[in-house]
Amino acid sequence: MTFDRVWLRVVLVAACIGAVPTLSRAGGVGFGEDDANSGDDGPSYFGFVREVDGPGVADAKVTAALKDRGALVTRTDIMGVYKIPGFGKDINPDDVAITCAKDGYAQASVQRRPRDPSDTKDPVEVECYLKRK
Amino acid sequence: MKHLLFALAAVTLACCQASAGRAQALTGSVTSVEEGAMEGVLVSAQQTGSPITITVVSEELGRFRFPDGRLAPGHYALRIRAIGYALDGPQAVELGAAATDITLKLRKTSDLAAQLTNCEWFMSMPGTPEQKRPLIECMSCHTFERIVRSTYDAEAFFPVLKRMAQYANNTTQARVQSRRAEREVHDDLVRKLAAYLATVNLSSGPNWPYELQTLPRPKGRATHVVITEYDLPRQAIAPHDVRTDAQGHVWYSNFVENFLGELDPKTGAHREHAIPVQKPGSPTGALDLEADGDGNLWLAMMFQTGVARFDMATKTFQMFPIQSALDNDAAQQSMVMPRASSVDGKVWSNEVAKQSILRLDLKTGTYELIDPFKFLPKGRQHAPYGMAADRENNLYFMDFADENIGRIDAKTGVTTIYPTPTPKSRPRRTMLDDRGRLWFTEFAANKLGLFDTKTESFKEWDVPTPHTYPYDVFMDKNDELWSGGMASDRVLRFDPQSGQSIEYLLPRPTNIRRVFVDNSTNPVTFWAGNNHGAEILRVEPLD
Repeated sequence: MTFDRVWLRVVLVAACIGAVPTLSRAGGVGFGEDDANSGDDGPSYFGFVREVDGPGVADAKVTAALKDRGALVTRTDIMGVYKIPGFGKDINPDDVAITCAKDGYAQASVQRRPRDPSDTKDPVEVECYLKRK
Repeated sequence: MKHLLFALAAVTLACCQASAGRAQALTGSVTSVEEGAMEGVLVSAQQTGSPITITVVSEELGRFRFPDGRLAPGHYALRIRAIGYALDGPQAVELGAAATDITLKLRKTSDLAAQLTNCEWFMSMPGTPEQKRPLIECMSCHTFERIVRSTYDAEAFFPVLKRMAQYANNTTQARVQSRRAEREVHDDLVRKLAAYLATVNLSSGPNWPYELQTLPRPKGRATHVVITEYDLPRQAIAPHDVRTDAQGHVWYSNFVENFLGELDPKTGAHREHAIPVQKPGSPTGALDLEADGDGNLWLAMMFQTGVARFDMATKTFQMFPIQSALDNDAAQQSMVMPRASSVDGKVWSNEVAKQSILRLDLKTGTYELIDPFKFLPKGRQHAPYGMAADRENNLYFMDFADENIGRIDAKTGVTTIYPTPTPKSRPRRTMLDDRGRLWFTEFAANKLGLFDTKTESFKEWDVPTPHTYPYDVFMDKNDELWSGGMASDRVLRFDPQSGQSIEYLLPRPTNIRRVFVDNSTNPVTFWAGNNHGAEILRVEPLD
């Protein structure tokens, strides 16, 4: 893992952890935000969308899909970085397919970084590569 | 009988006005000792006995003019709206056949607090955004004036807040309705809110311990408008969703009573169509009002449950109750989406209590329950709310409790969730235009949003006035957005291309929900209901 990748991972993991309270809302009457983590969150997904051997691709569509069930869709930022808050903890991350798309490009490959399967909260890093059509 | 008399009175008045001819223009100027000629003062005229009030706004030199032919000869009560001021006189005017020009004199008000909008209370009250955020729920039932004029300390507030949590969403001051199923309330959050509210009300003394902040009066193009208010015959009527039909009649859902309302804006004649009560003892009233492809109207029946179809030809209702397996005291349908039902015979709705989508099969009359969030983390609150359907009857819905837009494929049932760029945005109502653009409000984020269904991408725009909390938005034929809400007493007109906006101040405290634009007029005409004020509102921009 290069220094760049370590740095990116640290930043994105921190961002994802920071996002957890924001994204977690318990039930009940809305007399205020209940930011407690429900404890039911599976891992988030993050990474770059890049041109093959090139820079990050901004505003690319990134889909985290569960076959025949549903999907979460987001877009990359100006650096080509994306993050998806993730599914419930009962969803096996191996069943989640990450794809990317942008007009004028075709998806070239997807590279998933190894992770510790015993750590259910460990964010899943997936790089998606595009090539110009 | 009372309604019939009201309708007859309105028609009779309109006929009398027609036979008596129209008065010459009413013009005038507005001045005060403090400012001299005053721009941006709303001047309203209501003829004795008429349910219709017409309002214009003074321009740069303090001059105002009612449109020719709008006012019939007769006696008119006058009122004004200008923050910080009250009308010294005259309070009324007699209009005859000749042109009338009057000078309105304003004096400083002795009760500024009574004139503040919810938005201005938000601006005035000290506190962090986190402390203020829960208050955006309060506006559903009442204004903030009720809170800030109270003298409760934190301890006394606690049971009040707990009690209010058990009222139905479709509650107004004129008609309080209790839920049949008790809601879970988090005491720690209630205590936190109670403690905060006790710092912004009159519990510590006769005056507010902070300065009252106000928004500026309208200027420039914001004064180029004519506003018409149609009083409804009972204070309890709570118009929620409003739309016009091809004949120009205005239809509205009544949030707290089982009636569908109909108004003829030409005469002011008003009619109510009684909706059969499905669940006696449960809160009455409907929320979403939508048209299907044939122009028939559909209503989401809230705690009465199910949806109702109103046949525009026979003026009769067909009820679609939810099946008993889905029904309980908490069951609630706030939304209905019949627009593309001719494609597959299915109508979309929601089940608020189960945070789910419903799909009604028109052939069998049964509903399918769809949990669009089943693969997301449990324990997080969601609320499918505003809905739109595309030509294939695929559903787009707003996740009002969270920050997502969802899409359900009509054929496969697969759900796709699109988190909005702004976290905690709470998308509320929506419309899908002919170009596949989904326009929506981000209620909690104070933004208007666009989700392009073709590119699956978002754009967001801040609403110009903080604490507006837009409820709904409508894209008109000129590619301008129209929006309103419960906080600012203003109608927003926004050009997403240029970012230019105009905010039209309304003559009275106005709790706006669904907004509608009639594209058949030039310029377009904006319609909405005043949910707490028993009135229908028409805004006609002059440019």
